[in-house]
Amino acid sequence: MRNYILYALGAGAMFILARDINLIAGFPQEASQGAIFKIIFFHVPMAITAMLCSFVALCASIAFLATKNFKYDAIAVAVTEVGLAFLAGNLITGSIWARIIWGVWWAWDVRLTSALVCWLLYAGYLMLRRAIEEPTQRATFAAAFSIFAFIDVPIVYLSIRLFRTQHPGPVFFSSNGSFPPDWSAAIFGPLGTMMAMMMLATIFTCVRLTQENFQRELDSLRRMAHAM
Amino acid sequence: MNLLAHSLLLAQVSPDDVAREIGRLQRNYQFLSYGLTVAWIVVVIYVLMMVSRERALKREIANLKAMLEERHR
Repeated sequence: MRNYILYALGAGAMFILARDINLIAGFPQEASQGAIFKIIFFHVPMAITAMLCSFVALCASIAFLATKNFKYDAIAVAVTEVGLAFLAGNLITGSIWARIIWGVWWAWDVRLTSALVCWLLYAGYLMLRRAIEEPTQRATFAAAFSIFAFIDVPIVYLSIRLFRTQHPGPVFFSSNGSFPPDWSAAIFGPLGTMMAMMMLATIFTCVRLTQENFQRELDSLRRMAHAM
Repeated sequence: MNLLAHSLLLAQVSPDDVAREIGRLQRNYQFLSYGLTVAWIVVVIYVLMMVSRERALKREIANLKAMLEERHR
């Protein structure tokens, strides 16, 4: 039953993405930036999905430290890995956009640097997990590290509000930005790219949770093998 | 009036300007396609990584189970 739900979610996400790509292709070009501006329809949803994953990882890590229930540890590692993949997509699409608009692939401004630091911190979280053998110690250290890593997420979000950056100021969730309503709907509407990304992230997280269950089974089998 | 303004503007545009603008638009589209392709490649690579990891986990579990059963006998 669970697999059927995941397949249905996957098919739904693919349908929404195909519909959105068709819709976005029909939009006119942005006046000053041209066609490259349309990358925003994937760049922003990837960033928001990654941030939501970080928030879920924070909640799961706190829940693990409070309850010592390994279910929360599995959720934390699953969403962190999925968020890392989406953040990587966000950084790369942003870099391609920057090459056209700024003339450089990368600028060391606060938004870009804090996002890169965020990616490195969560990559460090996954590396830390690989470095510790004992499951309880691994989960405890990883949960503490995840809480520490989340400190960077508000910095990424607020960087374009608090500092003057090469990265443009806030367009969404701000009174300064202006975006045509039909363009906003293509991102945040019920059939927007944001919804498709969230569905993909949910599927990936569920698959990763299954793999974490396999990993736990493997750990217990290894312990049995050592004990014999 | 509008027609006159357009005609005056067109008179100022040289073939070099048109060629430059076409080049800029093509470069824009090229980089947009790079961006979309990369976004998809990231997702596909991640899916492939998950599939290979699941296969490896299942193989290792099967091997360990077989080894444990053999030791029991």
